[in-house]
Amino acid sequence: MKITLKLFATLGDYLPEAARQKNELPLEVAPSTTVAEIISRFNLPEKLVHLVLVNGAYVAHDSRLAHELQEGDVLAIWPPIAGG
Amino acid sequence: MNDQQLLRYSRHILLPQIGVEGQEKLLHAKALVIGAGGLGSPVSLYLAASGVGTLTICDGDSVDLTNLQRQIVHRTESVGALKAESARETLSHINPEVKVVPIRERVEGERLHALVAAADVVIDASDNFPTRHAINRACVRHRKPLVSGAGIRFDGQVSVFDLRDPESPCYACLFPEHGEADDVRCAVMGVFAPLVGIIGCVQAAEALKLIIGAGEPLAGRLLLLDGLAMEWRSVRLKKDPRCAVCAAP
Repeated sequence: MKITLKLFATLGDYLPEAARQKNELPLEVAPSTTVAEIISRFNLPEKLVHLVLVNGAYVAHDSRLAHELQEGDVLAIWPPIAGG
Repeated sequence: MNDQQLLRYSRHILLPQIGVEGQEKLLHAKALVIGAGGLGSPVSLYLAASGVGTLTICDGDSVDLTNLQRQIVHRTESVGALKAESARETLSHINPEVKVVPIRERVEGERLHALVAAADVVIDASDNFPTRHAINRACVRHRKPLVSGAGIRFDGQVSVFDLRDPESPCYACLFPEHGEADDVRCAVMGVFAPLVGIIGCVQAAEALKLIIGAGEPLAGRLLLLDGLAMEWRSVRLKKDPRCAVCAAP
């Protein structure tokens, strides 16, 4: 199935070079792929995975790793940011 | 208000949500702005133009040429000057009625507590987690509304922690202390100039609304701005019952 991965702020560095223009990457993944599997596949450091949203809706911290993605989902991950 | 003030603030006074009464509140208000950089620039410009009575602006840094692309309260001739002083100079031309108190240091400890205790609203426009956590602790202790914004590259976040309400989440409910990775600064990451302008303008709007008591504050919600797509998302925030800072002992 197809999903879209969006990585914000400093996490953009974990996307392939070609995806950085928009900080998003279309992905082909197995059905029922979890958020944890995507985090692991892109080697995202745990401390940088601060907020997880699927289709713009926040996924609670406790349940997010096991959250199963569906066809067409947009998975967005935000690191903590403090710049000003 | 005298005739000049009625004219200067007429477009606010015309708004039924503000009126003469709301503008009087602004004229008597004390706002504490911590950081006179990318966020603190639009915040201080709008608060000064709007007639907020006293603006205390804290920053220990000096203006650098690399700041000018986005830190719009500073000017080319201010390079090398202390940011708090440079901001005061610009703001004095925009609205000489506003009392600007420059604090030429990175505030912490009891100094920070005293400044927070004296303010009606606190605007966090700083650029690092230790300062953000210190400001939050002071706002929790003194029960002050905190308007918090942050941005890097093309992405930003903004929220209000209305700590006058004991049920409100605090900044540490969202970003637990010692929980975050070392932040990477603008110096290496880059920041899109209007990104901090947009986030700072939302902070200014929320600070003014809190002072006036107009509308619904951005409390209990975190706005996330994807500047490349120009999309906003809103996430509900809840008080963390185990928060090391605001949970009851």
